Amino acid sequence: MRLVSLRFVYATLIGLVLAGIVHIAAVLAIPVLSEKDAVSRARTSENLDHPQPIYTIATGDEPSPPEAWLPIPDPAVAVGVCAYDLADGPMRVSARTGPLSLSLAAHARRGAFYAVTDQAAVRGALDLVILTRAQYDEALADDDENDPSRDVRIVAPDNRGFVVVRVIAGLPSQRPGANAAVQSVSCTTDTPTDEPAGKDAGGKPAGR
Amino acid sequence: MRLVIPGGPGRSAAAGDDRPVSKVRSLGGAGRFLAHLWRKSSVAGLAVYALGLGGVLGLASADWATRGGYPFGGVQVGAWTAWPKAGAGNADPYTRAVNARRGEIPLAVGEGLLLTASVDDQGQALDATCSYRVGGGTPPARAWTLTVAGRGPRDPGRPAVREGFTSTEVLRGADGRFSVVLAPDVQPGNWLPSPRDSGPVRLALRLYDTPVAASVGSLDRDSVPAITRLGCAS
Repeated sequence: MRLVSLRFVYATLIGLVLAGIVHIAAVLAIPVLSEKDAVSRARTSENLDHPQPIYTIATGDEPSPPEAWLPIPDPAVAVGVCAYDLADGPMRVSARTGPLSLSLAAHARRGAFYAVTDQAAVRGALDLVILTRAQYDEALADDDENDPSRDVRIVAPDNRGFVVVRVIAGLPSQRPGANAAVQSVSCTTDTPTDEPAGKDAGGKPAGR
Repeated sequence: MRLVIPGGPGRSAAAGDDRPVSKVRSLGGAGRFLAHLWRKSSVAGLAVYALGLGGVLGLASADWATRGGYPFGGVQVGAWTAWPKAGAGNADPYTRAVNARRGEIPLAVGEGLLLTASVDDQGQALDATCSYRVGGGTPPARAWTLTVAGRGPRDPGRPAVREGFTSTEVLRGADGRFSVVLAPDVQPGNWLPSPRDSGPVRLALRLYDTPVAASVGSLDRDSVPAITRLGCAS
């Protein structure tokens, strides 16, 4: 009987150690395997040229539409996402500043890696280019020394991710404007310059 | 014994005799069965037991730790808790798992800072039936919003009056400080209706474009709004 209980204690101890390992593995695996996380849900907006609204501020009597999947959204901030897949080429996000404060944040699976507000805009325009390390090197090599690019270039940690656009409506009368300001941001994929197929199909501007 | 157990003396004696014996017999039977089981499949049985224990406990604890709010990473400032790392790339694995499970897009460090409060300055839990004064100043920020939410989804039948105030629309005193009253009934000034009839509520203060997001340690009790309980409907 004593032998049995001693074995039982050992088995319990091993079980507890296993439980710790399983716990750590599960917590680490959740962001990778999750299908409900923001990166996976934002993927539907990959082919759009403008952010997909994920939280539209309620205006007047209209409640916010059910497309909102943010768990606890700020009722005064309009949110839109642009998903990117850098395998298709660098992602260009262009925003024009308006009267409302706007912020852009680039997220990958591990979290946000870059954020900028409209206070960083140059002459009312905010141009972000998100690229991989290889695309960044290529863009640097292609740069014209006499006419340096004004883009803000950000190297992304992963190929996939999304850019969040947030516009704050300080007053109820600014709410429709905030919803429109999210839509007026453009997110486009730069076609690769060295790809002949892209050159033919995309009609690359000749003036470069 | 006879006084306690109702029924005839003979019956009680019989029951008194019978019960322990049957218990011992069943215990002995179970013990013998278990011992038999151990002897028969000692290593395999124990391995299955250890694996099952590990799997069930590990998955259940991981589920429990990543359900709901962030388990840790908050910085306590008075009644408020600041979450500076929730959206950072170097967030801890639990925070990342919670974000992934909820589909949350947290504020990045350059965007803003989220502060939440579920207790008042005395440490009592915020309740929808009570009234509170939330007032004072806020840390420096380009804009902020103060919102209230109950737990779980919103009541579908409840009219959406107001969920929060922004820094632009809040009425301020002559010194630039503000005072918002969170109460179930209509109040003069900045009235924030309770989001539901009863139950716990949570306040969220979101600071947008703020320098304190990078240095939460510089926040102190006086720089965040105070939460004072005014009274409760009994």
